[in-house]
Amino acid sequence: MRYADVNEDIVRSIVETGPKYYIALATAGGITLLCFFFPWFYQLYYGIGASGMHHPQVWGTYLAGFIFWIGLSHSGTLLSCVLLLTNSTWRKAMYRSAEAMTLFSLMVATTLVAVHLGRPWFIHWTLPYPNQMEMWPNFRSPLLFDVMAIGTYLTGSSVFIYMGSIPDFAAVRDRTAGWRNTMYTLLSLGWRGTDREWHRLHWAYTFLAVLIIPLAVSVHSIVSWDFAMSIVPALHQTIFAPYFVVGAIYSGTAGIVTVMFVLRKYMNFEQYITKVHFDNLGKLLLVLSLIWTYINAIELFTGWYSGTSTEHEALNYKLFGYYAWLYWEMILFCAVAPLLCIFRRFRTSLVPMLILSIAINIGMYTERFLIVGTSLSRKYLPDAWTVYVPSVVELSIILGSFALFTTLFLVFVKIFPSVSMYEVKETMDVPGTEPTAQPEGSSA
Amino acid sequence: MTNFAVGLFHEPQSALAAAGSLKSAGFATLELMSPIPVEGVEEVLGEKKSVIKRFTFFGAVIGGLSGFLLAAGTAVLYLHPTGGRPIITFPPYLIITYELTILFGIVFTVLGFFISARLPALRDRVYLPETAVDKFAVSVACDDDKHFKRAEAILNEAGAEQVRKMAEEG
Repeated sequence: MRYADVNEDIVRSIVETGPKYYIALATAGGITLLCFFFPWFYQLYYGIGASGMHHPQVWGTYLAGFIFWIGLSHSGTLLSCVLLLTNSTWRKAMYRSAEAMTLFSLMVATTLVAVHLGRPWFIHWTLPYPNQMEMWPNFRSPLLFDVMAIGTYLTGSSVFIYMGSIPDFAAVRDRTAGWRNTMYTLLSLGWRGTDREWHRLHWAYTFLAVLIIPLAVSVHSIVSWDFAMSIVPALHQTIFAPYFVVGAIYSGTAGIVTVMFVLRKYMNFEQYITKVHFDNLGKLLLVLSLIWTYINAIELFTGWYSGTSTEHEALNYKLFGYYAWLYWEMILFCAVAPLLCIFRRFRTSLVPMLILSIAINIGMYTERFLIVGTSLSRKYLPDAWTVYVPSVVELSIILGSFALFTTLFLVFVKIFPSVSMYEVKETMDVPGTEPTAQPEGSSA
Repeated sequence: MTNFAVGLFHEPQSALAAAGSLKSAGFATLELMSPIPVEGVEEVLGEKKSVIKRFTFFGAVIGGLSGFLLAAGTAVLYLHPTGGRPIITFPPYLIITYELTILFGIVFTVLGFFISARLPALRDRVYLPETAVDKFAVSVACDDDKHFKRAEAILNEAGAEQVRKMAEEG
């Protein structure tokens, strides 16, 4: 494969659009409208009572969805930054889509917060601006930490994906005409690929990666503190921050496997996304599943060892209560099934990897649902105990959030080059030298 | 109006050799355009220093100070005493400080990148679209025709596939 082929393939993936794409976009967009926005408007009209969230269960599936999507967002930018700094060449073909996952997951997550709020038109109250109500945000609250952390992460992720795409926008600019040319001319900012520009990009990109890694870790730690800093049994645990961070990277990595499979199959990127990528991601999933399992065991042990009746009751409810089947489903999908990744044959079999990645994310959503759904309903006073059951509106919005993510991603693949051209070229033989290796993926 | 001699090369090594020869011959305004970052360019065209790290550092410092002042200032201006605890409480405010340190660090890094890479370009500059695909180009500013002929000879000698005369406004 030559350099020109890379440009050819990636530009084609942007400008040539078949009926399958339009069908997929219309379906995803339709489901988003029907399952996400209509129920949301219904809830706005009739009030938050349209959801299943009632006292004492004032947090529900929306927040579980929020944690899930924030978690999924940890796939891209964090993993991309770590692999950039560790100089892993296999990152190069997949990181752009992974970073896009981050961006869109964050968008969906913040939208779910707006849905959860019930009256989202007051969302600006979280921002510190002078007002006549003398109402300023309480910066001691983890909820405000969240606003700051997620705002920063969204800014950082957007900047990171955009900056890495500038050279590719320039390459697409040169190959397009009409409105596309105008758009890519604006997006590429007049990039020419001079030695000065490459040098500056390298350093800016490295600094951003260094800044974003601790940021990403802080984001999910802070999300965990929304729960752990309360005194609710089963939530008030010091293990929560690492538990959430590991869970986030775990579900994010599984999300990458799903997206890689879809891109490889439907965008014809077989030459760029190879079995080596699935092999490496499989190893990563295995390691993460073991850490996740360990932390889950520690969470149970800490609750049991505390010796307090409220913690014991919370544990009992989680393991053997109304939602016990969901707990054991989570263990099966997130702790047992990923052990298959021990086998190389499994890691390099694409369909089984796809099924595993979806199963892990079902398990991870369940985990978040259990954290939110089984805690507030079993607090200190048994007379206030309840069973939380999500309403149809809630379930529909959660389903719609996946369609919203898919819609955003489908729009992305037609605007951004979903594989980084210049970085894939870097893994290939430089023109004028003897061929030494396969273009991509062989040097993991 | 400045004129440029632009040599187009198939291989990065030839382009680098041409840039080295032009530099030795006394040409000052040299640029190498390529589809990927070229290794060894600093050995030929001299070590590059960028101000980005200063932007990042001072951005982070400004962000940290702003974060703490925002949280502490809010607490002082809008008093909310709780349980006799201090009004300015360091542990939670350090988190706001931390987040804004990173936010400002990111924003200033981007600013530093734009300024030092001279982007966005506000006028047309010498550019060959082939360099975004698989070619490597060396562009050199020439004062007059004599200068151009010299540069052209050096570029051809280094193995340029073609040498073009291009002009840049300003």
